[in-house]
Amino acid sequence: MLASRLSVSKALGIAALCLLLLCIASLLLGAGDIGILPSSRALLGGGDDDARFIVFELRWLRTELALLVGIALGAAGVLLQAVTRNPLAEPGLLGVSAGASFAVVLAINLGASAASLHLGVAMLGALVGCVLVLLVTRMRGVGDDPVRLVLAGAAFSGMLGALSSLLLLWDQRTADEMRFWVIGALAGRPLDTVDWSLPGLIGGLLMALLVVRPLAALALGERVASGLGHHPQLTRLGTLLAVAILVGTATAAAGPIGFIGLIVPYIARRLVGSDIRRTLVLSMLLGPCVLLLADVISRLLVRPYELPVGVVTAFVGAPILIAVVRNHRLPTL
Amino acid sequence: MTLLSSLLGDASQTNVRLEARDLSMGYAQTRIIEGLDLLIPSGQVSAIVGPNGCGKSTLLAGLARLHKPIAGSVLLDGKAIGSLPSREVARRLALLPQDAMAPDGLTVSELIRFGRQPHQSLLRQWSEEDQAIVDAALIAADLKELADRPLESMSGGQRQRAWIAMAIAQATPLLLLDEPTSALDLGHQIEVFELIRQLSAAGKTVVMVVHDLSSACRYADLLIAMYQGRIVASGRPEEIVTSELVEQLYGVRCTLLRDPLSGTPVITGVSRL
Amino acid sequence: MNAFSSRSLIAPPGHHLLRLGPCSLLLHRRSLLVALILGLLLIGVGSWILAAGDDALTPWKALQAAFGQGEALQVFLIQELRLPRLIAGLLSGAALGAAGCLLQTLARNRLATPGVIGIDNGATAFAVASIVAVPTSLAPSALALSGAATAAVLTFALAAGGGARGYRFIVVGIAIGALFGAATNLMLARSDMDAANAAYPWTVGSLNARPADSVLLLGIGLAVGLPLAKLLANALSLMRFSDSVAIGLGVRLQRMRLLTLALCVWLTALAVAVVGPVGLIALAAPEIARHLCNRHGVPVLNAALSGALMMILADWLGRTLLAPIEIPVGIIAAVVGGPFLLWILLRQAPRSST
Repeated sequence: MLASRLSVSKALGIAALCLLLLCIASLLLGAGDIGILPSSRALLGGGDDDARFIVFELRWLRTELALLVGIALGAAGVLLQAVTRNPLAEPGLLGVSAGASFAVVLAINLGASAASLHLGVAMLGALVGCVLVLLVTRMRGVGDDPVRLVLAGAAFSGMLGALSSLLLLWDQRTADEMRFWVIGALAGRPLDTVDWSLPGLIGGLLMALLVVRPLAALALGERVASGLGHHPQLTRLGTLLAVAILVGTATAAAGPIGFIGLIVPYIARRLVGSDIRRTLVLSMLLGPCVLLLADVISRLLVRPYELPVGVVTAFVGAPILIAVVRNHRLPTL
Repeated sequence: MTLLSSLLGDASQTNVRLEARDLSMGYAQTRIIEGLDLLIPSGQVSAIVGPNGCGKSTLLAGLARLHKPIAGSVLLDGKAIGSLPSREVARRLALLPQDAMAPDGLTVSELIRFGRQPHQSLLRQWSEEDQAIVDAALIAADLKELADRPLESMSGGQRQRAWIAMAIAQATPLLLLDEPTSALDLGHQIEVFELIRQLSAAGKTVVMVVHDLSSACRYADLLIAMYQGRIVASGRPEEIVTSELVEQLYGVRCTLLRDPLSGTPVITGVSRL
Repeated sequence: MNAFSSRSLIAPPGHHLLRLGPCSLLLHRRSLLVALILGLLLIGVGSWILAAGDDALTPWKALQAAFGQGEALQVFLIQELRLPRLIAGLLSGAALGAAGCLLQTLARNRLATPGVIGIDNGATAFAVASIVAVPTSLAPSALALSGAATAAVLTFALAAGGGARGYRFIVVGIAIGALFGAATNLMLARSDMDAANAAYPWTVGSLNARPADSVLLLGIGLAVGLPLAKLLANALSLMRFSDSVAIGLGVRLQRMRLLTLALCVWLTALAVAVVGPVGLIALAAPEIARHLCNRHGVPVLNAALSGALMMILADWLGRTLLAPIEIPVGIIAAVVGGPFLLWILLRQAPRSST
C-alpha cells in the first residue's frame, strides 16, 4: 500500500516504461519452440524465417490485440465505476461483456459470420447490458448498496451465458469456439482483427474524452454538477455509450475477458487518487500492461500448452476483488 | 395503578437491576467509553445526554448487549448480560434502536405481535396473554384505529409509536430507547415523550438517549451527562444542569430559564464561546 | 396470568390457530392454501410428465404405475425409466428452492442465490476435475459435494469479520465463484473431446442419468433439512428486521446466521451433486413463493414446492423442445429465469433493503 500518491507524470512514465518492457516480453516469450534468443535475433533483424514469422506475424498481432483490448477494457472499467459510483463495477461482473458476447453468438447463429459485422453487434449487446446496469442503479435509490448491482450483474451474466450455451448447442459448434465466447482468448484470432477493431476503440475513446470532465463533476454530486453547468443524465448516458462501444469492441475482438476492468482502476486509484481524469489516462496505459502480463503468464505457465487469458485474469482479479471488499471503507469515487 | 399497568398485568412490576461496572467499549485501538460506572434507577426515566461522539449511543448499545465491552461488564440483575441467554434478556429488557427497520408491507399489529417473540416458543405460538398484551400495547400507544395499516403509510410520529408499542408488547420491566424523537417534529415529539412518561408511571424503568437537552430536562427524572466517553454529571435536571455544564458539553454560552409548565431548565440565548 | 384466560382466543388476521392443551400453533392461511395447491399441481404435473409421449398412458395410469399398480410393462417403464429422473428433479428443485429462500433471507437481498456465492462453481470445478483431470475412484457427485463445501468454507473464511449485512460475504462469494469458474475453464481447455463432453453436463446442470446414490442422499438431506428450516422459521422472520431489532427480540444473530448458512450450503451441495449448477431455480422459486403467499414471511416450504415444480417442468421442456437433442435443464432454467429476473428488478416494488 503506497503511503503517498505519485504525481501523474511519474505514474504515467512508469506505466509507459512497463508497457514497453511488456511488449518486448510479449514478442520474445512464447509457449512454443522459438525461445528468447532466436526471438531476439529475429526482432533485431536477423534470425531464421520461422522465428521471424512467429515474432512478426503471430506474436506481433497478439501484442497489438492485447494493447487494443487492454486500453478498451481499462478505460471502460474506470468509466463504469465512475458512473455507477461503485468500486466493484466491472464490465465482466456486471454482465456487459456477457451481453456483447451473447449478441455475437446470436448473430453467428442467425447467419452473420462476417467478422466486421460482429463489432456492431457486440456493441449493441454491450449497450443492452449497460442499459440494464443503468436501470438497476436508478432503481429505488439503490446507489448506496454496491452489492445489489453486482448481484444483478452476476445473475445477468449467468443468464446470458446459459443463453449462449443454448445457441451454441443448437448450432453444434466446436467446443473451442464455444469456450471462446465464454472466456475469451488472445490467441488464434483472425489476422484482420486489429484492423476492424481499431475504429471501435477510437470511437469509444473519443466518447470517453467527451464525458470525462462532466464525470469528474458528477463525482461531487448531481446538484453540484448541474450547478456547474453539466447535465447529469446526459453524462450518464454518454458514459454508458462509451462503455458499450469499448466493451463491445474488446469482446468482439477477443471474447469476454473479465476482471481487467476491476484490477486496472483499483491500481490506478491507489497510485494517483480518485480523480477520474487521472485514473482514466493511467488506466489506458495500465490496461494493456495487465493484459500483456496475463497473456505472457498464460503462455509460460503450462508450456507447451497455453491457458486462456481469461483464466489468468480471473485468478489475479478474484483475490483483488476480495481485497477490495475486505478494505472496510471502500474508496469513494 | 394506572390503566396501562392494569392492562399489562403484573408483567412490568418486577424490579430489574441494570448496571455498568468499569465499562470500556470501542473497537480496534479506539476507546469510545472508558471505565464507566452506572446504576440505572428503577421505575424512573433516565436520559443520557451529551454532544455528538460522546459515546451515549455506544453506552446504550452496551447496556442492551448489542455490542460486547472491551473491558468491564454490564450486569443485569447481578449477572453479566453476555452470559445470559438472549431470550432471557429480551424478557427483561426491550430496545428501540435508532436504525429500526422492518420488512416491507408489515402492518402495525403485525409489528407489535413480533414483540411477543421472546415469550413464545415453537409449541406456544399464540396465547390469550399474547392477544391481550398486543391489544393493550395498541391502546397504550393510541394506535387502535391504525392497527391494520402498513407501517410505511404512517407519519413519523405514528411509526415511532408503533415501534414503542412493539417494545411495550415485549412486556419487559426495562425499556431502552435510542434517540426516539430525533427525526420528529415538535408535535410528534411530545406524543412520544408523553407515552414514555406514561410507561414510567406504570412502573417501567426507561433509559433513553436524547439529543435535545431541554427535552431531556423536561421529561427525565435522572439526567446522565456524558462527555468524551465518561459521565461528567448525573442527577436531577434541576440540580445538575448549569450553564457551566452546558459549556463543558457543547462549548457554547447560554442562559438558563425555567420551563413555565414543568419547572425544568430550558436552554436559551445560546452563543459561541 | 388468570386475568387473560377468560377472554376467547382469536387467531391473528390471516391465520388459523390450532390448540391442544397448552400448546398452540399458528398457521398462515394463505401459505397453507398455496402449499396445498402447489402440492396438487406437483402431483398432477408429475403424473402428466410421466405419461407424456406415450399414447397408451394417461396421467392417472402413470401415477398408479408409479406406485406399482397396473400393467407390468407400464410399471416397468415408469418405475425403472421415468420415475427416477422425475424424483431427482423434484428433490433437487425442492432443495434449491429452499436453499435460495434461506440465502435471500440471510443476505436480506432478493438477488442472492447460492450460485452467486460460489457454491455452484465450486461443485462444478471439483466434479469436472474428477472427470477430466484427476483420476480418482470417487464419483463426480461426491466430489461435487466436497467442492460446494470447500467453496463455502473458503468464502466464509475470507469474509469473516465482515459487516452484518453479508455484503462482504456475497462479494467474496462471487470472487471465489469466479476463481472456481476459471479453474473449470482451465481444465476444460486442457482436456480432450471425450472428456470435455463427459464433463459438459456438470457445467450447465442436467438431470440426465444421475447416479441413484446421490439422489438418495439428497432425499435424506432434504428430509432432515426442510423440517429444520421450518423450525428456524420464527427466528428467520426476525432476521428480516435490522440487526439491532432482531437482537433486541432475543435472536442469537451470529448463531442463526451460521446455522442458516450451513443449512443453505447443505441443501445446495446435495442438489448440485445431483443436477449440477441450476442457479436460477434458487433465485426464482422463493420469489414466486413470496408473491403467491403475499406475505413478508420466510416461505421455505412453498419455495421448495415451487422449485420442485419449476425443475420438473424445465426438464420436460428441455427434453421435448429440440427432441431428440436434449437441452440441459440448467440452460432452460436460465433462459426462462432471465426475463423473470428482469421483471423482479424492474417492477415497482416498495423501498426496502431487499
